[in-house]
Amino acid sequence: MILLGNCYSIPFMVSTAVYEGFIATFNDKNPLHTDEDFAISKGFKGKVMHGNILNGFLSYFIGECLPVKNCIIHSQTIKFSHPVFLNDELVLNAEVTEVYESVNAYVFKFYFQNSDGKKVAKGDIRIGLLL
Amino acid sequence: MISEITSVFRDVLDNDKIVINEKTVADDIDDWDSLTHIELVIGIEKRFKIKFKTSEINSWANVGEMCNAIDRLLNK
Repeated sequence: MILLGNCYSIPFMVSTAVYEGFIATFNDKNPLHTDEDFAISKGFKGKVMHGNILNGFLSYFIGECLPVKNCIIHSQTIKFSHPVFLNDELVLNAEVTEVYESVNAYVFKFYFQNSDGKKVAKGDIRIGLLL
Repeated sequence: MISEITSVFRDVLDNDKIVINEKTVADDIDDWDSLTHIELVIGIEKRFKIKFKTSEINSWANVGEMCNAIDRLLNK
């Protein structure tokens, strides 16, 4: 059962396997993501991880971490506010902020926090429960 | 009330040209599909600060019946 105010905290790591799997799957080899020197020349401390890796983590959260399995994502927004680097450890914090029982829809507000305490991304997801 | 509901429809469907009346049904509006229907219900619940029951949503045959349901909840 999903209730208003329910909170979740899920750890993730942007491991080499995740990073290489993302590139192998989607083929985004932009130098910002794959060329250390290029990324450093643009002011980053190393290769910047693809922001949409975080969407993969969100997919896992919705698909595997909720107490129900009959759920589907209706929509989501995400804003990336700080870069994520290889081997960063992130925590996804999510809270149920809206419940629409009439249509079995639930809205989560979420943010990803890195080990320095920075919120690297935030947004919201609306899911529906399939009857 | 139709004007407020029209405003919700226009917001949800991102189309300022939508015109609805009490006889309007989903087939009359491009993009009014099952997912959009959920968004419309949520938009109306937020706009009027009401909560529908699943059973009444499923019974609506047209926008007029939606208006009647809103009326009933507002006048409870």
